[in-house]
Amino acid sequence: MNKHHLSRRAFLRSASDAARGSAIVLTLPMIITACSRANDARLSGESFQNLTEEEALAFDAIAARIIPTDETPGATEAGVIYFIDNILASGWDEQRLILQDGLRELQIAVGLSFGAAYFHELEAQQQDQLLTEIENTPFFSTIRYLTVAGMFSLPEYGGNRDSIGFDLIGFEDRHAWQPPYGFYDADYAERGE
Amino acid sequence: MAQANDSATPTYPTREAVDFVIVGSGAAGGVMAKELSTAGFSVVLLEQGPHLKAADFKHDEWGYNHNNDLVWGARQGHPQTYRRTENDVAEPVEVSLGYAHNVGGSSVHFSGNFWRFRPIDFMEASVRGTIAGTNFADWPISYEELEPYYTKVDWEVGVSGLQGPWDPPRSREYPCPPLPVKSSDVLLERAAKKLGYTPYPAPLAILSQPHNGRPACIHCGFCNGYGCEVNAKSSSMATMIPVALASGNCELRTGCTVSQVNTDENGRANEVVYWEEDGTEQAQLANAVVLCANGAETPRLLLLSESSRFPDGLANSSGVVGKNLMFNGYSSVVGLFDEPVNAHKSVPATRVMHDFYELDPSLGFYGGGGIDARHFTAGTPMGMALRSGLFGGPTWGSEYKKNLQHEFTHTASFDGHTTSLPLATNSVSLDPNLQDKWGRPAMRCTYQDHPDDIATMKFFLDKTTELMDVAGASKTSGFIVEEAQTGNVHLLGTCRMGDDPSNSVVDKFHRSHDVPNLFMVDGSSLVTSGRGQPTMTIMALAFRAADNIIQAAQRGEI
Repeated sequence: MNKHHLSRRAFLRSASDAARGSAIVLTLPMIITACSRANDARLSGESFQNLTEEEALAFDAIAARIIPTDETPGATEAGVIYFIDNILASGWDEQRLILQDGLRELQIAVGLSFGAAYFHELEAQQQDQLLTEIENTPFFSTIRYLTVAGMFSLPEYGGNRDSIGFDLIGFEDRHAWQPPYGFYDADYAERGE
Repeated sequence: MAQANDSATPTYPTREAVDFVIVGSGAAGGVMAKELSTAGFSVVLLEQGPHLKAADFKHDEWGYNHNNDLVWGARQGHPQTYRRTENDVAEPVEVSLGYAHNVGGSSVHFSGNFWRFRPIDFMEASVRGTIAGTNFADWPISYEELEPYYTKVDWEVGVSGLQGPWDPPRSREYPCPPLPVKSSDVLLERAAKKLGYTPYPAPLAILSQPHNGRPACIHCGFCNGYGCEVNAKSSSMATMIPVALASGNCELRTGCTVSQVNTDENGRANEVVYWEEDGTEQAQLANAVVLCANGAETPRLLLLSESSRFPDGLANSSGVVGKNLMFNGYSSVVGLFDEPVNAHKSVPATRVMHDFYELDPSLGFYGGGGIDARHFTAGTPMGMALRSGLFGGPTWGSEYKKNLQHEFTHTASFDGHTTSLPLATNSVSLDPNLQDKWGRPAMRCTYQDHPDDIATMKFFLDKTTELMDVAGASKTSGFIVEEAQTGNVHLLGTCRMGDDPSNSVVDKFHRSHDVPNLFMVDGSSLVTSGRGQPTMTIMALAFRAADNIIQAAQRGEI
C-alpha cells in the first residue's frame, strides 16, 4: 500500500466511539475520506493523552483546512492531531489554554452562524468562512503553528506520518548529499565558471 | 587529533585549589581548557549543559528550533526578560539572549561562518571618527597582534576557505579548500559579478576534506541550529575538548551551573560556587578563574558575585559590566526561482561578498557588513512552511499548500550581516522581578538598535534586493528589523576590553582591571561588533589570552 493512502478511519472510529450518544455524527465527506487502512493497528483504540475527543475532532478538522487533503495528502493523513496531542501533553501550557479558550469561542460561532453543534460537522466552505473570520486571532495562529509543526517535524513526535510532510515539499531527510545540489550549481559546473 | 580518553581524566578535590577553574566550555572555554591543560596546568572546566557528541545530534527541527532543546528557555526553567529601553518594565520571554547549553556551547550549533575580523575593525573609531552618544572605540589590540592566533584557529580548529580579494592578510593559507559552491551562491556570485562586485568563497569552520583526524562534511544541510553528526563542523566540542581531556590535566564537570565567584581577603578570586544537576552545592577552590560563559552569562555571573568589597558586582568598578551589548544587525531578502535551488542541502553559505564592509561615510551614517546567500530558514522544512505566504499568497488552505510545495526548494535568500554600535543603554542585567529555576534573578535584556544600525540594515536590504533582481528572482520579499531586535545569538561587548579601567572591564590580555587573577574571555570582550560573524574572533582571542595567561603563570604573575 502506498503511503499516500489515507489513514483516517481508525482515528474516526476511536473518536466516534467516545462520542457515541452525543451529537457527533459522521458526515458524508468524512466517510468518504475514511479509507482502506482498516487494519492499521497503530491508531486503533488509541486514546488522546491531552485532548478531549471533542477537541481532537475540532482541531483535526481545522488542521485539515490549513493543509487540506487534495491531490496530495494533508494534515489529516500526516496525523497532525497526534502531534498536537503529544506536544500539549509536554509543557506547552500557554498554547493549551489559548486552544481551549479559542475553541469555546469557535463553537459559539459555529452555532450562531450555522446552527450546528460542532465545527467538524460543517461543510468545508463553512469551515473556511469561520476560519477566515478568526485568522488574526492567537487561537488561529496557535493551531496553524502546531499544524505546520505536526506536518513537518520528525515523525517520532507523532505527526508527519510516513514523512508525508517532507515528501510534499521535496525534502528528504538524509545524512549525505553530493553536488550538484540544484539546477544552478550544476549549470555552473557544466560551464566551468 | 588526540581522542578523549576517560582514563586520562583527573578528579580534583573541590577543597584543594586547582590552577584554573574555567566557567563555560564553548568557543572560548574549549580553547582555553585545551591550551591551559596541555601546558601542564590543572584545570576544572565547568559546563551547565550535557556532553553531547556527534551521535546525539539529529535533524530535529521541532526539538532544537522550537522546543529549545539545546538553547534552553522558560520551558526548561530558564526564563529571560526583554525591554527596549531602561524606562520600560521588562516582559518575560521564552529566550532573548540565545546560546546552546552543552559542551562546546554555541560553537556546536552555529552556522560555521567564520570570517576573520579585518584590520579596520580594530581601529575604526580612529579612522572613521567617534560617534556621539555611543561608546564606539578602538580596540587595545590590532589585527596584526591577533593574526597569529587567527592562523592558529585555522589550523588547530579547522577552517575551509580560499584567500579572496577582501580577505585580510594572513600568515598561512587555509588548511582546507572551500566547500563546493551551492546553487544559492551561484545566483549570488553571478549577480554580484554583473554588478561589478567581487564575491569569493566563504570561510567556514566546516571541513571540506579530512583534517586533524576529523572527516569532511557530508552536506546534510543541518548546520545552523544543529550539532554536526559527523564532527565535520569545527566546534570546540569536536576539536578542543577532546585534546583537553586527553591531556590528563583537565576535569570536565557537566551539568554544573555556577552561582558565584568568591574572593579572598586580598580581593583575589579563590572559589567558584556551583550547583550540580541535582541541586547539590559545590565550591571549587582555584588559584585563578577564567570566565568563558559567553556575553550574557559572564556579566550575569559577575553581577551575581557582588560582595561588600565589590558592591556593584565583581570586577565592575567601571560600572560597564553587562553594558555595550551588541547583537549585530541583519537583513534578508528571499527570492523565488524557476529552477530547483535546494539551498537546504550542504553548508549554510559558500560565497560571501565583502564589497560593503565599510559603508561610505557620505551616506550620513556609520555601518558596514557582509552579504551571503542561504536558505531562507536555514534549510528547515517547518520554518519555511511557517513563512510560506511571504510572497503575498495565503497562509493556509489549498493555495498555501500548493505554494509551499514549490517554495522550499526554489528559493534562496541573500542576507546582510551588519555592524551594531556599542551603547551604554543596551545591556544584560539582573531582572528584579523574575527568577530562574535556581532562584537566581533571570537575565534581563535591554536592547534598542542605534539609528545608524537600522540605516545600515536598510542599506543591505536594498543592496541584496537589487542583487536578487539581477539574479533573476521572479518574486522577492525582504525582511529587516523595523524598530528593535528583541533577541539574538551574538552576545558581544558586555565586559569590553580596554586600557582604561574607568570604561572597560578587562585589559588587553583579558585580565580583570579589578581582580588580578580573574579573566573574562568570550564574546563579552569584544570592543566593536565586527560584521556579524564573531565566533572566529572569539576563538582567536581565546588562543591569544591563553598564550598570555600561560606566560604570566610561568612568570608567577597571576
